[in-house]
Amino acid sequence: MKNECIHKDLIFYLDNELSFEKRTTVEKHLEECADCRSFLAFLQDGMQIIEKEKNPEVSPFFYTRLSARLDEKDEHQTQSQWARLAQPAFFSLVLLAGIYGGLKLGSNASSTKANQRATSNVQMLNDFAAEPIESFLLDEL
Amino acid sequence: MDETQLIKGIQQGDRKSFQILVENYQRMVVNTCLGIVHNKADAEDLAQDVFLEIFRTAENFRGDSKLSTWLYRIATNRSLNQIRKNKRNRFFQSIEETFTGGRNRASEISENHGDQPDRNITDQQRKELLHRAIDRLPEKQRIAFTLNKYEELPYQQIAEIMEISLASVESLIHRAKKNLQEQLLDCYKKKCV
Repeated sequence: MKNECIHKDLIFYLDNELSFEKRTTVEKHLEECADCRSFLAFLQDGMQIIEKEKNPEVSPFFYTRLSARLDEKDEHQTQSQWARLAQPAFFSLVLLAGIYGGLKLGSNASSTKANQRATSNVQMLNDFAAEPIESFLLDEL
Repeated sequence: MDETQLIKGIQQGDRKSFQILVENYQRMVVNTCLGIVHNKADAEDLAQDVFLEIFRTAENFRGDSKLSTWLYRIATNRSLNQIRKNKRNRFFQSIEETFTGGRNRASEISENHGDQPDRNITDQQRKELLHRAIDRLPEKQRIAFTLNKYEELPYQQIAEIMEISLASVESLIHRAKKNLQEQLLDCYKKKCV
């Protein structure tokens, strides 16, 4: 034990988790071993950090901030509830309007076709005989 | 007002009961989160998320376990999720740094330590070393160690929070200390602080 370092036991020694016999042996060894003493101090410093940083002072505005977040969430939830109802209704309306518009356009298209057919049956007026091209061009001059 | 009344009040949406609960348990929740995330501002944000979850899901609380046990569970889960999220962000940041040549990180480090005295740097380094060592512990060991060291909870209560046996808690904490000791010894030998 005298020559062998006992680094692995030191963290348990610090936490008082060794049996009485083991603890006595470690303490004896520490009296003789500078390296183990130094590592024990290093460990102690490390563990002290936990003691120093734990239980921090909580911000005095902790609940105020939390309450604001809660209100925000409530508002958001109400909004999203409205959105949940309004969105499908809006999209249904758009869809219905689209279908209605499509039907209307379709019926208009069929009436236009009928008009076109009627137009194609009309005889075109031939006014070439009434005004020959020569007289038309001469009038322009 | 006892725990049952508080919970009943919260289940009915009573803000006063909620405020009492927050005031009674905020230190405990912030401290638990701090033990895992090692940053006070992050710990407070996480604690707020914990309380919001409590308010939202209070109706699911059947009273089988203590209110504090429920709070510890949510706090540890949320903190671990935050760490996972940070790891993912760091991964993407490291990818970004490979493209930007690591300029962002270098400027960040010089900003943090530029004008601090030597002693503070050593304290800060020691703190970072310990935090790194704790972060390297497997998740279960980290939770058990944190609850034991930061909250000074007895093993039995840790077993209830983690829903494992008492023997498992003893084993987890023993292994956590062994791992920490190994990491700190490694650093001690290399004289990294």
